[in-house]
Amino acid sequence: EPLFQAWSYFRRRKFRECADVCSQLLERPPGEQELDSEYSVFQAAWNLKTRALTEMVYVDEIDMDQEGIAEIVLDENAIAQVARPGTSLKLPGTSQGGGPSPAVRPVTQSGRPITGFVRPSTQSGRPSTMEQAIRTPRTALTARPITSASGGYGRLGTASMLTNPDGPFINLSRLNLTKYAQKPKLAKALFEYIFHHENDVKNALDLAALATEHAQFKDWWWKVQIGKCYYRLGLYREAEKQFKSALKQQDMVDTILYLAKVYLRLDQPVTALNLFKQGLERFPGEVTLICGIARIYEEMNNISSAAEYYKDVLKQDNTHVEAIACIGSNHFYSDQPEIALRFYRRLLQMGVYNCQLFNNLGLCCFYAQQYDMTLSSFERALFLAENEEETADVWYNLGHVAVGIGDLNLAYQCFKLTLVHNNDYAEAYNNLAVLEMRKGHTEQARALLQTASSLAPHMYEPHFNVAILSEKVGDLQRSYTAAQKSEEAFPGHVDTQQLMKQLKEHFAML
Amino acid sequence: MSLFKARDWWSTILGEKEEFDQGCLCVADVDNSGSGQDKVIVGSYKGYLRIFNPHPVKPGDEVQPEDLLLEVQLREPILQVEVGKFVSGTEGLHLAVLHCRKLCVYAVSGTQGNVEHGNQYQIKLMYEHNLQRTACNMTYGPFGGVKGRDLICIQSMDGMLMLFEQESYAFGRFLPGFLLPGPLAYSSRTDSFITVSSCQQVESYKYQVLAFATDADDRQDTEQQKLSSGKRLAVDWVLNIGEQALDICVVSFNQGVSSVFVLGERNFFCLKDNGQIRFMKKLDYSPSCFIPYCSVQEGTINTLIANHSKMLNVYQDVTLKWATQLPCIPVSVKVANFQDLKGVIVTLSDDGHLQCSYLGTDPSLFQAPKVDSREINYEEMNAEMKELQKIIREATKTQDILPESEKQRDVTVTAEVSPDLDEESQAIDSEIKAGAVPSVTVKVTIQSRVTAQKPSLAVCVQAPLAVTCDQFVFGDLEPDSSETVVLSVFLRENCCPSELEGTCIVSYNIPTELNPEGIPRVAQCNFSLPLKLICFPAQPSKAANHKLTIDTNKPPISFVTLFPDFVDPSEGDQANVLGFEFLTGSKTTLLASKTSQRYRIQSDQLEDLWLVTKELIHRLQIYFKKQNCKDFACTFSGSIPLQEYFELIDRHFELRLNAERFQELLSERAVQFRAIERRLLTRFKDKTPAPLQHLDTLLEGTFREVIALADAAEENQANMFQAFAKLKSATHLVIMLISLWQKLSADQVAILEATFLPLAEDTQELGWEETVDAAVSYLLRTCLSKSSKEQALTLSSQLSMPKDTSKLKKNITLFCDRLAKGGRLSLGTDSATQQAAVMPGGCATIPESDLEERTIIPGSTAMFSSNGQITKQKSKP
Repeated sequence: EPLFQAWSYFRRRKFRECADVCSQLLERPPGEQELDSEYSVFQAAWNLKTRALTEMVYVDEIDMDQEGIAEIVLDENAIAQVARPGTSLKLPGTSQGGGPSPAVRPVTQSGRPITGFVRPSTQSGRPSTMEQAIRTPRTALTARPITSASGGYGRLGTASMLTNPDGPFINLSRLNLTKYAQKPKLAKALFEYIFHHENDVKNALDLAALATEHAQFKDWWWKVQIGKCYYRLGLYREAEKQFKSALKQQDMVDTILYLAKVYLRLDQPVTALNLFKQGLERFPGEVTLICGIARIYEEMNNISSAAEYYKDVLKQDNTHVEAIACIGSNHFYSDQPEIALRFYRRLLQMGVYNCQLFNNLGLCCFYAQQYDMTLSSFERALFLAENEEETADVWYNLGHVAVGIGDLNLAYQCFKLTLVHNNDYAEAYNNLAVLEMRKGHTEQARALLQTASSLAPHMYEPHFNVAILSEKVGDLQRSYTAAQKSEEAFPGHVDTQQLMKQLKEHFAML
Repeated sequence: MSLFKARDWWSTILGEKEEFDQGCLCVADVDNSGSGQDKVIVGSYKGYLRIFNPHPVKPGDEVQPEDLLLEVQLREPILQVEVGKFVSGTEGLHLAVLHCRKLCVYAVSGTQGNVEHGNQYQIKLMYEHNLQRTACNMTYGPFGGVKGRDLICIQSMDGMLMLFEQESYAFGRFLPGFLLPGPLAYSSRTDSFITVSSCQQVESYKYQVLAFATDADDRQDTEQQKLSSGKRLAVDWVLNIGEQALDICVVSFNQGVSSVFVLGERNFFCLKDNGQIRFMKKLDYSPSCFIPYCSVQEGTINTLIANHSKMLNVYQDVTLKWATQLPCIPVSVKVANFQDLKGVIVTLSDDGHLQCSYLGTDPSLFQAPKVDSREINYEEMNAEMKELQKIIREATKTQDILPESEKQRDVTVTAEVSPDLDEESQAIDSEIKAGAVPSVTVKVTIQSRVTAQKPSLAVCVQAPLAVTCDQFVFGDLEPDSSETVVLSVFLRENCCPSELEGTCIVSYNIPTELNPEGIPRVAQCNFSLPLKLICFPAQPSKAANHKLTIDTNKPPISFVTLFPDFVDPSEGDQANVLGFEFLTGSKTTLLASKTSQRYRIQSDQLEDLWLVTKELIHRLQIYFKKQNCKDFACTFSGSIPLQEYFELIDRHFELRLNAERFQELLSERAVQFRAIERRLLTRFKDKTPAPLQHLDTLLEGTFREVIALADAAEENQANMFQAFAKLKSATHLVIMLISLWQKLSADQVAILEATFLPLAEDTQELGWEETVDAAVSYLLRTCLSKSSKEQALTLSSQLSMPKDTSKLKKNITLFCDRLAKGGRLSLGTDSATQQAAVMPGGCATIPESDLEERTIIPGSTAMFSSNGQITKQKSKP
């Protein structure tokens, strides 16, 4: 029985086979199938194939979070420019304490501490103007927004071209959406197909609007789908309305997550937090909700709360990789490398096997004074590195270790190798400059520092080093300006303040 | 991702290339042995029915032959096997097997043999039903509250529920709004059937309602079936879960509550009897099957969920209690009791891997693959290390990246410019209107002595000139072979080039033993183009704005011998006047004094003098070289035409200012444009349509303005390009005049050129003016300085566009004065011409080298950015 076969394939997630069997069913002459019209094999096969094609490219919409320049610039949702401390994600400095200083924990370009787990949203920042957005250097690890949202979404949409060499399965432009909207059983599958497979948000929205009307606005599912479409189109307020109305009808975890995502996009982390907490009352112990809270706290620079919630996540689901990684990196940056080591080892035991993990293991081993393991960890990390950036990271850390054990020659070579692999590596430039400074090559050091600061204006180290260098040389004016920049990047840096004070005294004497 | 793997208690692989799905596994004491020992019943799509009684001697043993109690091949594929009290008059368990079009109920019985392997098992067909429609799945239970027996309900592929009261067929009902079958379960507490429909809803139908509804089978013809669709089966309750379900289970472990568990594609729901959500859990993996199995704690239920990443998770309500690794993806999971072991997890995979396992703290044996580490021979390593360090040291000594010494050239490239212009011009899309644009043929030959991979040739000439083809890619060159290409050079844009030179560059790879892909190498050569390419002889003109006089120490040479390609020999010997007309239209005249040893060049424009002057001096030098006359020298006595030169600088600078203004305007308009766009967007998004209030007109207008501004900026850029070309020509001329005037050596000329002709492109951010200003003032401060006071002056490290050119002019004038007073250009011991080189890290900053300030004490206390850059890049599992 072909239809049963297809159905079984679908249940076993063998979508390719399922779609093939369905295609065969659909190729039969239509006369046979229209015998009983209440139920037709044709419709069933069509529906099944639609679903199979969708599942092949399905990506959970909640995890998709990329903001392009165009969206940022044309974002007309008025948001308070000067938010009160602790209520906005835009002002990274507004943490209410508890956050580590940049001297201890490196920050991303938008000024947030580096997190232990790379997810799509950690890479997006919100520059204030178009010009600034474009001028931000394009390096893989920085917060430059992607040029357009079509980046990620577009790639998803191309699936439709790949799968069927003889044209798309459903020709969207010829669909009579009204007809389908009246058949709820077909409409849902069709909607998911249009949304996920064809990536045609406008048509999807049309269909959803018609369908929800047909369901007399009583189907929460359609409301969520409309909300999703609005979100994609950047109509956040409308999306919020839809999600809220859906939540009124039926509490669902997904709906809560979508709504929270809208709030985050509207830069209202506190509202999102409250929403998550309400959701937790309804669905106690839901991992995704707790994890959402932890992520928000982390972005708001409230690391201690974030760690608490990550621990809660682990209580509910002790195999949660993100939570383990984040707690591990948190311990690492709060001077507990031994504990961090245990977390990373746990990840290793769970079967995570990649360059980053060994990189982190190597660093933890080094700081925990287990020198024998350090080099072999880095060796493995190098062996596993998939691209140049990863290799550069490993060499940078090796250079760091070399500095730690006092082998400056090795350190020098390691940093050079870092730059060979990734010549945008501002940290490596900075450290190389310091090494050059020790050798007394002032000009080279200065050139390197200048490169570093132009590559990563958000780091305070190059500025500070320039300040010190200039002060040594006697160029007080330049030292002062550099110190000012350093202070701008990291207001609480004590050494900078001391230097500034010293310089001001000098100026006063003159 | 898990720490542990499921411990194997007993496992086997069934058949070859057989397929199994959800319904194919059942665990029960099917032969009514009464010992409470479960048997594992497996049916396959190939039609094999197997019954196992696993009892390994010790965990993980091989399968014993006597474990397989029974293996029968039934003719049709088996969709589902269930065990229940299906035969009337007895409470014994029987086996129901669902085929596509048939339902069979068998009795399984065993006869004891003398030894264990002598036990015999057989099945006996009790009854069978032939089905009208293709079956999909079935469920059973005491429908309608009957005691002591189980009824069977079969769901067909087209949505009919067929109910069988044991040996007899009871009735069939169509489900309303049916499209594809979903999982089916029976809840005995509420006496209802629960399924998930194609509308992504959990639906519950009371058995009573089904029984009293009109019988679908009464109407045989299809017409009436259509009618029956109008009359809807009343649904007890509906819950929209917004996704398709994989399986449904109804459990009631403790008497109080019974729950309906629904495993969706992305979520896991637990519902109350009345269809309300008790709890739900979002799954971050795609589940394959599940089974709720018991409740340890009051009010909680434990569930096993298997997923497609080969994991089996144990949940207590929503809390993950245990996660374990399975060897394959299960399609069905059950919990069984064997011998003295309770709660064994039985899993069946798609391809027939049947496993009985238990949870244990056996680490999931993930062995990190070994890094290929060599046996370490410390002596060899030491030697190699020393060798390498030596190389590194040498490399660091001789600057970082320097071209290797060109001892032997593996690949040579030569360019040969044909002495005559092309008979038929090869010029394409030249902007010059005047008639035919001449072109000249260049023949480039590449000779290789070794194997060169992927050689590619690039030919470049300065911008107003162009070549017909500037890129050539060849196949790999064999040793001692050569390639030749021919191309033509012509003047494309309507302005005079500042140089009549071109470069050919060949890049290629040389493979070595260690590096089969090859080491990239480059070979290059220069060629100079004839003057005739851009000008032709014309009538000399007497009057001109600019005049230059070059003195020599030899009697003047006739132009007939000097410029044979411009002077018609028929004009006779008296040709001491020669006129040139450039393709761009301007004219230059060359005069040779008959009596004194002088030449005069005159033109209306300063920049036009350059090429002719250069050509003249060049030809004179060649001529006297041929004559073996070594003491030939040219000199220039007159004052340097600085005033005219400054005019050109001003012109260029003015255009730069313009460009800056255009840029500002453009960004202003762009901001305005975006603001209007944003307003429009809010208007359009508003629910209540508001009038546009001419915003669209405004948008249109701004758009036009932006385009017009962009056009103007582009035109300005073209002008600037021309101005820069002129400026460059004039600069060349000035350099040449200075060197003739002061009789500078070749080294000094090189310094001059580096000063006035920076290698960097002329851009808006870093233009010619500030670069030259910085270079000139550096020279003034160092080698041309008069007092040590001047040396102490510091320069700003940041180069930015000056407000006007007065400082530059002042500096250049001063520079000429100092030179006239006998200043010597030298750069001391330090690396030469650094000020013109572009430092790494962009051209925005050019640090000057502090020659005098090199007395810093090493050992600064600068700090490290002591951050281990930790990046974790992982996608969520």
